Amino acid sequence: MGYPDYMYESIKLVEATRPRRAEMAKEGLQKFLKPLSAEEREKVLRDNHPDYQPEARKPIRVGPNKGEHLTSEVVDILERPSRLPRDFKLEPVDYETDVLVIGGGGAGCQAALWAAKNGAKVILCTKLRLGDANSMMSQGGMQASVNPGDSPLIHYLDAIGGGHFDNKPELLKIMTSEAPYIVKFLEELGVIWDKLPDGHYQTQSGGGASRRRMLSCRDYTGAEIMRVLRDEVRNHPEEITILEFLPALELIKDEEGKAAGAVLFDMETGQYHVVKAKVVVLATGGFGRIHIRGFPTTNHYGATMDGLVMAYRAGARLLHMDSVQFHPTGAIYPPQIHGFLITEKIRAMGGQPVNAKGELFVYPMEPRDVEASEYIQECKKGLGVRTPDGQYGIWLDSPLIEILHGSGTIERAFPAMFRQYKRFGIDIRVLPMLVYPTLHYQNGGVEIEENCHTSVPNLLAAGEVSGGVHGRNRLMGNSVLDYNVFGRRAGIEAAKLARETEIKGRLNVDHVWEYEEELKGEGIETKGYSPLLLPEYRNLESLKRHRTEFDPFAPAGL
Amino acid sequence: MTRMPYYPGCTLKTKAQNYDLSTRAVFRELGIDLVELPRWNCCGAVFSLVTDDLLRQVAPITNLIRVQELQGTDSVDDPRLVVPCAMCFNVLKRANARMKDNPEDLKKINDFLYLESQPYRGEVQIIHTLELLKEISAKRIKEQVKFPLLGLKVSPYYGCNLLRPKDVAIDNPENPTLLEDFTQALGAEVVFNNRRLRCCGSYQTVSEKGLVADLVYDIIMGAARAGADLIITACPLCSFNLDWRQKEAMEAHSDHKLIPVIYYTELMALALGIGNGFGGEHFVDPQPLLQKFLEKEKGGI
Amino acid sequence: MTQDLIPIYIYSRKYYVPEGSTIITALEYLGFKLKKGVGCKEGFCGACASLYRLKGDYKLKGGLGCQTVVQPEMQIVQIPFVPAPKAVYKIEELQPDPEIFVRYYPELYRCLSCNTCTKICPQELQVMDFVQAAVRGDFEQVANLSFDCIMCGLCSARCPAEITQFNVAMLARRIYGKYLMKKSTFLEQRLKEIESGKYEEGYRELMSLSQEELKNRYFQREIDFQIT
Ligand SMILES: Cc1cc2nc3c(=O)[nH]c(=O)nc-3n(C[C@H](O)[C@H](O)[C@H](O)COP(=O)(O)OP(=O)(O)OC[C@H]3O[C@@H](n4cnc5c(N)ncnc54)[C@H](O)[C@@H]3O)c2cc1C
Ligand code: SF4
Ligand code: SF4
Ligand code: SF4
Ligand code: SF4
Ligand code: FES
Repeated sequence: MGYPDYMYESIKLVEATRPRRAEMAKEGLQKFLKPLSAEEREKVLRDNHPDYQPEARKPIRVGPNKGEHLTSEVVDILERPSRLPRDFKLEPVDYETDVLVIGGGGAGCQAALWAAKNGAKVILCTKLRLGDANSMMSQGGMQASVNPGDSPLIHYLDAIGGGHFDNKPELLKIMTSEAPYIVKFLEELGVIWDKLPDGHYQTQSGGGASRRRMLSCRDYTGAEIMRVLRDEVRNHPEEITILEFLPALELIKDEEGKAAGAVLFDMETGQYHVVKAKVVVLATGGFGRIHIRGFPTTNHYGATMDGLVMAYRAGARLLHMDSVQFHPTGAIYPPQIHGFLITEKIRAMGGQPVNAKGELFVYPMEPRDVEASEYIQECKKGLGVRTPDGQYGIWLDSPLIEILHGSGTIERAFPAMFRQYKRFGIDIRVLPMLVYPTLHYQNGGVEIEENCHTSVPNLLAAGEVSGGVHGRNRLMGNSVLDYNVFGRRAGIEAAKLARETEIKGRLNVDHVWEYEEELKGEGIETKGYSPLLLPEYRNLESLKRHRTEFDPFAPAGL
Repeated sequence: MTRMPYYPGCTLKTKAQNYDLSTRAVFRELGIDLVELPRWNCCGAVFSLVTDDLLRQVAPITNLIRVQELQGTDSVDDPRLVVPCAMCFNVLKRANARMKDNPEDLKKINDFLYLESQPYRGEVQIIHTLELLKEISAKRIKEQVKFPLLGLKVSPYYGCNLLRPKDVAIDNPENPTLLEDFTQALGAEVVFNNRRLRCCGSYQTVSEKGLVADLVYDIIMGAARAGADLIITACPLCSFNLDWRQKEAMEAHSDHKLIPVIYYTELMALALGIGNGFGGEHFVDPQPLLQKFLEKEKGGI
Repeated sequence: MTQDLIPIYIYSRKYYVPEGSTIITALEYLGFKLKKGVGCKEGFCGACASLYRLKGDYKLKGGLGCQTVVQPEMQIVQIPFVPAPKAVYKIEELQPDPEIFVRYYPELYRCLSCNTCTKICPQELQVMDFVQAAVRGDFEQVANLSFDCIMCGLCSARCPAEITQFNVAMLARRIYGKYLMKKSTFLEQRLKEIESGKYEEGYRELMSLSQEELKNRYFQREIDFQIT
């Protein structure tokens, strides 16, 4: 394994320019390269970013956002019918609780913990195992203004500019001003932040941030936070019941139209379970696995936009669902790790993006969408490196990190990344990584307000499934922060709401049928169902002799 | 400074840190730098001393491979492994002997340890801290004494692990003199307790407190009759039993006399002028005695 | 690119899959719809633990399904998870005291130092060494050596002493992070500033700016990567 021989021609060029680029980095790259101006940003985005291409968006024909242009693939999935059969009965009720949290990632765990702390009985259901989630995967870090030269206000300004000024200001204020508290809260649970010998946090810069504000736990930041949260959730067996491998399929309402539980679906046995709850917190994360525009993704296997579908059918408004975040640096070679995230911290610590000729062609710390567009443009210009299967990428020159910070830095600061490449015979201490943008993050989502309410009563949302706080582009390190801040708020609010709530009348899923009527009314006939629950990667050849009646996941049209 | 590989053992890292700290300090004073193995594991004694199960030999042998690894670097001068804990010493030494005697066993174990950087070659030498002191010689120690422990009546206690079985014994199993010799070198008065080789009850202390308390009563009273102010030991478990089981001994026997128990290295540290501050929790607090003694020394009474 | 097919055994049956597949992509290629045994697909979650043997080798190996490339004649099973008792505790009531392990994971002291756990760990961690560090109460060492543990469970599935290494390490890391790491003094100061309302006026001002003014403010903001 390792790189194919022909690539070494280009690697030689990268090596040739490396000493000079190291000098530049030592003097400060800002001296040699300027971040783009507002107009330049506009242009490179318009010309290259997948969101700006003609077929990227289309109007949705039903539901609360009817008529708005959303990302095309999102529209396609929203315009499908439910998996529930028409004669479905919500009886008997299998579980009853105060708060139902759907989703076992970071947002779900925070919500469950804080709801329990505030006196609620909680059920947390999740599709895979607890913690099999995007939250487990973040490598780079979490933003919080913990340095004297920084402040919550500067954090706010960075985030709102990064989000193209579309962020909901009141949400952003909450997120940036509660960030330092979250750092403390997690530390008190036992999260091991990277620190300097004097106890101060080690901080890095991040794309679009004007200060060093990125806290990390080596390059296992998400894993460290997630496993601590998961452990803490499991420390409350009396208050929190965990249901793993049991995804939600549809929300349930009461006769007043309040969210009042959910239908869960056992993917192994095909059985339904009914949960009755006074409040529902949606924490199902993002949508990477719907592979927008065919891009590979960094997301976990369960990131299939389920929560968004359920909420939309129940009448929740969506926000900013016309924008998608592509991470500039996904692995494009070797093929086994196609789409894998290469953390931005690599660039923050001096790893430079260079083209096939070994030229540094872009300021490495632009906001993600801009940076990604620059890479796409470079490849379009023919300055990318071709992979054996005909795709193109640019180099991320990791060996520079060893030059700038001393040898041994990569193994110490990026154990996950180092290990990942080593498995495929590439030593990133001496060889650069070949990268191309990859589908990374759902910028928008179910619109929330300060206490995580959606436009459906008693339905709260937090984390990647929600929309508003990041505007149309999230900065690195702000979503780990987001799920902690708003997951916690959702938990507190849910417990409070549960005390005041009485479920009125008959439980029902009428909204699902009404939504399907609306689809019919518009003459929409689509193949397949939603939510997807699981992505489809089976080889079509292997499905040829497939008996669809045995398979709730049979691909549409088989 | 001569640098030597050093295996502290778990107990010296937890309950008996005072033994670890005083050992290192004393040897530094005597020109030996104890280099802790960079990686080591429990030698196994905490669970069982059964020797017919080969798997139990894996733990000690892994440690001896670590010694080989350290020998391969230039961070030690004298290649022998120094071990202060009587229990660890016993286990490591016996496992080592078994490997030397049974090449078949050694081969099986090396096969099992295929992940290690190198096989065990069966050549590591293991030396107890007391043996090392003997090499340094009572004479040298005497020369370095700053505060001779004049008038202090010390009763050495050996227990069993240092002397049994015979082939791993550090001294004559019937009539050892090591502790006595160097207690004398420190200027203290040796008092002879005819119970000094008795078993202290070992791990029975967990399940059979009363039984151990009776053994301890017997041992302590032996020392008391001989007029001891202080007992010294070379084993964390002996030390624990002799000290803490005096509580039960005192409750069961109205004539029990409380005597403090410390490690011989702590006593040495005192005499060599290194200090008295190695911590450690005691039932019978030795500090009043040691403080009184220090003041006397310094005040030149 | 044409792909060569190689034979592998999954749950004992023989199949042909493209060379270069990982265990997970091989399963998918063959038509398995994965509902368990898969999570992040990137080597971070430990959901895809697998056991395998290679042709002509008696060694039982462990690997992550999403990271392990199949080899000809490989025998594979997946281990979606290993039942493992997790101690329930109130972290705020604990002390950084080795006795903690005696209380919550007494089986820890059964460790035979056999190194089986180290042999199987797909993250190539020194598992035995961190178990041993726990035995002697060295929290920092456990935290450092176990930091990259993704809790896949393979070590505990193989341990002759029936220890759940990853749960022990989890407890040790939490104690270390909470009680033993040096605290940041500045964080407390920042929290006080926020609590006292120091930034409220600033927020009010920023939030009242017109879009145009806000943009100017943003594009003219100073960039400063000094820590203080
Ligand atoms: C590779 C990677 C690296 C990242 N790095 C960073 C970073 O460095 N900094 C940063 O700030 N952000 C980063 N992010 C983003 C960040 O990790 C996520 O946005 C965030 O963790 C989302 O948290 P969440 O709890 O909302 O969703 P998730 O953590 O994805 O949790 C959602 C959970 O819901 C479950 N679920 C889904 N559907 C259903 C259903 N129907 N029923 C029940 N449960 C369901 C999922 O299986 C999952 O367990 C990264 C993301 C990825 C993928
Ligand atoms: S025998 Fe006892 S003291 Fe020696 S290493 Fe093992 S547990 Fe530690
Ligand atoms: S005296 Fe006690 S502890 Fe010391 S070696 Fe003998 S039995 Fe063991
Ligand atoms: S497998 Fe179990 S017994 Fe063996 S070294 Fe690891 S923890 Fe100890
Ligand atoms: S230590 Fe155990 S649980 Fe953790 S990664 Fe290694 S094998 Fe898996
Ligand atoms: S699927 Fe998460 S580690 Fe393999």
